[in-house]
Amino acid sequence: MTPALRCDGVWFAYGASPAVSDLSFSLAPGERVALLGKNGAGKSTLVRLITGLLQPAVGTVWVGDWETRGRRPEQLARRVGSVFQHADQQLFASSIRADVEFGPRALGLPRAECVRRAAAALSALDLEPLAHEHPYDVPPPWRKLAALAGALALEPMLLVLDEPTAGLDRALRGLVARAVAQRAAAGVSVMVVTHDLAFAAEALDRALVLDAGRLACDAPLAELLGDAARLTPLGLVPPAVAALSRALALPGAPLRAAEVARALASVARPSRPV
Amino acid sequence: MAGLTLADVRFWYPATERPALDGVSLTVAPGDVVAVVGAVGAGASTLLLVAGNLAPRVTGGRLEGSVRTAPSGIVLPTPWTQASGMAFSVWDEVAFGPANLGVPRDEIARRVDRWLARLEVTQVAARDPATLSGGELQRVILAGVLAMEPALLLLDEPTAELDPAGAALVWRLVRELARADERCVLVATSDLDAIPAFATQVLWLQHGRVRAAGPPADVLARDDIWTDGPGATTVAGLWRQAGLAGPVPLTVADAVARVR
Repeated sequence: MTPALRCDGVWFAYGASPAVSDLSFSLAPGERVALLGKNGAGKSTLVRLITGLLQPAVGTVWVGDWETRGRRPEQLARRVGSVFQHADQQLFASSIRADVEFGPRALGLPRAECVRRAAAALSALDLEPLAHEHPYDVPPPWRKLAALAGALALEPMLLVLDEPTAGLDRALRGLVARAVAQRAAAGVSVMVVTHDLAFAAEALDRALVLDAGRLACDAPLAELLGDAARLTPLGLVPPAVAALSRALALPGAPLRAAEVARALASVARPSRPV
Repeated sequence: MAGLTLADVRFWYPATERPALDGVSLTVAPGDVVAVVGAVGAGASTLLLVAGNLAPRVTGGRLEGSVRTAPSGIVLPTPWTQASGMAFSVWDEVAFGPANLGVPRDEIARRVDRWLARLEVTQVAARDPATLSGGELQRVILAGVLAMEPALLLLDEPTAELDPAGAALVWRLVRELARADERCVLVATSDLDAIPAFATQVLWLQHGRVRAAGPPADVLARDDIWTDGPGATTVAGLWRQAGLAGPVPLTVADAVARVR
């Protein structure tokens, strides 16, 4: 099967020193990938290369069977839905619904299809009650969800989300996780740039870690999060769920909240005969 | 003198009928770090704007009640909108605040160097602020506010853009500023796991009202903050999810002590 995304020896530099160096990897349809690394590791640069905002100096980025070279971001938007790190700069219409509809309209889809897609995207994030609001009349976290709804409404083969949970509370993080799971189940590949390893542990499966522009690690997320010795040099700190699992040596070394809670119950209440 | 005293404060944004803050009273004394938590829309950001004398002065709207506040510096949750746009280097960006306060030139230089170093961004001092990563810019903006040496520090999601090492640096610094320098700090954050290590008080806002206030160990261990609020720390949540009884641990260390 054609990968949803393939980077083949990709280099890019803003000035003299490369921001990303010799990146090669691919994402299968339906894969849920965390793109991790320190501030300045090259994560956002890679996002710009995938969305066509930047072109590789060397190497090739493929989205499905399209090369990004020579394609404008708005052409790539048929296949890549993205949410910027500063998503509240991404909104401009007079209502959240109009903003979410804009993407499908710009793709030239029929009116009824635009309405259907916007409604589906808004309800995937429980945003229907706010759909009539002006984007700048709602707090920034909801603006962020509105931008995510706009990306979902494109119904792309690849979703690229840059820090989608920053500043979101527990309930809103849960909505993002649910939307990611739904889209992945439908065969969409999802790449999430994040420092929120607790969210990553719940919602994503595979870790790509950048360090000074290079791909320093490509591993199952559970394996990486359970291995503090590998995390630390990459500037990563195990999330509290993983830290607790490890500190108590929970059976099976679980990393997802539901599994940790189950294991914790068994450890804290040992079934001893009285 | 207290850094901040709010008494029965109500605030309405322009053209709204429901108050964003609805009868909030709060005192932040030197040495206090008050963490404001709540669901999105609960009023945490608005509280910081009122404490910083930006609401209603800049936002418009209507304020009732009494606000007594020391000279304050605010770090907005959107650092890219807070950069002055007037500086071609990070060093000048950090100097912009104290220069506008009329601080003498050699003192400005000392402060800029000190806060760039404390926030570990000295290595980008010569860069154009527009070329920084999100995390670098957030630390530079924080350095710029600290260079004004406000008695009251207002921080709105100051670690949203930071990697875990950067976030840990900021939380350590917040605690030191309160303890060693007797600053007052009011910080809105959704990083609930970090709170036990840096906050002296937690203020839980709901629909613009104070739902609970007190030491982190009390407020974050409440049953209703889990069922009806923003939640508590990850460890507290796992403890509840496991159906375990008794005083809820907030940190990994607490939990280990409880289980053993």
